[in-house]
Amino acid sequence: MSFLEIVEGPLFTFAAAVFVFGALWRVIGIIRIGRKKDISPAKASAAAGFIKGNFRHFLPRGIFAKRTMVHIVGGYGFHLGLFVLIFFGTYHIDFLNQRILGFSWPAMPRWAFLMVSGIAFSGLIMLWVRRISDPVMRLISDKDDHIGSWLTFLVMLSGCFALEQAHDVLRATHMLLVDIWLLYFPFSRLMHGFTFVLSRGNSGATYGRKGINL
Amino acid sequence: MQNLYHTIRNTLRLGVLMLLLAAFASPLAAQNVRPPANAVNLDDGTEEGPSNALGNVSDSEIWDAFRGGDPADLLAAAPEGQVMTTTGQVWRLIREQYIRKYLGWAPLIVIGLLAVFYLIRGPMRITGGRSGKTIPRFTLSARVAHWFMAGVFIILGLTGLVILLGRPLIAPYLGLEANSVLASASMQAHNLFGPVFIFALIWLFIKFVRGNFFQWVDLKWIFKLGGFFGGHVSSRQFNFGEKSWFWMVILVGIVISVTGVIMLFPGLVEDVRWLQLSTILHALGAVGLIAVAFGHIYVGTIGMEGSLDSMLKGEVDENWAKEHHDLWYEEVTGKSATEEPTKEETP
Repeated sequence: MSFLEIVEGPLFTFAAAVFVFGALWRVIGIIRIGRKKDISPAKASAAAGFIKGNFRHFLPRGIFAKRTMVHIVGGYGFHLGLFVLIFFGTYHIDFLNQRILGFSWPAMPRWAFLMVSGIAFSGLIMLWVRRISDPVMRLISDKDDHIGSWLTFLVMLSGCFALEQAHDVLRATHMLLVDIWLLYFPFSRLMHGFTFVLSRGNSGATYGRKGINL
Repeated sequence: MQNLYHTIRNTLRLGVLMLLLAAFASPLAAQNVRPPANAVNLDDGTEEGPSNALGNVSDSEIWDAFRGGDPADLLAAAPEGQVMTTTGQVWRLIREQYIRKYLGWAPLIVIGLLAVFYLIRGPMRITGGRSGKTIPRFTLSARVAHWFMAGVFIILGLTGLVILLGRPLIAPYLGLEANSVLASASMQAHNLFGPVFIFALIWLFIKFVRGNFFQWVDLKWIFKLGGFFGGHVSSRQFNFGEKSWFWMVILVGIVISVTGVIMLFPGLVEDVRWLQLSTILHALGAVGLIAVAFGHIYVGTIGMEGSLDSMLKGEVDENWAKEHHDLWYEEVTGKSATEEPTKEETP
């Protein structure tokens, strides 16, 4: 069995399993903790606040919009870009089709793939540079944040290196990093990819129940 | 020229050797060459093809017909319908004999000069030491724009050098296969990050153009060689060296961007000479920027005490500002820069 076959086969299966079960374990764990019972009379619906809180956070607050512009542009560019690359890149669709799902869907053209890659890379670099440039961000960032950022960057960069599909070693490197990323994900702040719904919802529900207009 | 001389010399040697072999071969062949025992005679009586399929034209005449262009006029247009052009040969020679051979030395020479300068001069310390009081110099978005460009520049620089110099520098030591892997990876990354560089360049221009226009005070900076060899030089927010670096990045960056886009989308130009020119200008501009960037990195880090703070924290020490950007200090604080340097308060 070649190295490529290992990282695309058993190692990927193991990493994907850890990713799925680990992420589920953590999300269910957070939900099971529950919320402290609020004995005050509800002024409005907490459930509506949960939903509103989630959607309201997609837009920046007026007074902070200018100050957080780098964060907003970088954040949207990176996250949306990465989502599009993973689910609409030809090679990713082929991989998901052949290895996991058994069906495929239309991929974006190569020029769009390159453009979205550029946006996603720009976003990630902007976010990390902001992390080390902003005094507050620098203070509240720890190893986990930097490892998560760099690991994601290396996964993307190695994918970019392998685009020509001319050398197995480049594809294998990309897949190895993907496997490591999947293994690291549930045990790190990369989990915000799932938990953001809960944290935004929690704030939204708390304020919503008190009748505060978010 | 030397290459051409070697080619002619080798061709002549080969020709003489072939003639000698031909002269001796016929009688020897008649004596020693026998058909193998299992050989089959395929002559079934059918008529063979024409014996002179190439006609009566020599090889050199055939290749001459393929190739067009005037070797004496490098800027001449490529002749219509020609498979090969003389300009292509000239371009290849420039790339192989000059760019690949010598260009890689430029960054190394700059590093060497900086090392010598550092050993002789040492780092430029803040006169009177740090005051402990800081003033803001760069906003967060300006710093992010700077580091964003720096990150993209490093990725493009490294991958570009592998593409340009991999064959003469990597292949002989790590092997052709390793060079092929690195070249493939670098080419993909270079093509992908190229458009990001254009975005970074525009962002950098918007964030830093203010304060980077040349002024009369810059003449003094030039005459005093920037104070690198002693003496005080006045400057506003950016000194002549910083302004020159900024405009070099912008102007050479535009050349690199345009030539890069032409190489990325060759269909944009009809004349192949634009592509040839683009590869040369792209390499010259990029390696030039990389070489000068080492100087920028040197002054911004180990070469000058306190300068890195401006891009890491966005703030600089007051004494640093008074010493290196006195006019800007006076403009920002409204205080005189000629006052005694403030001493850092000890707790």
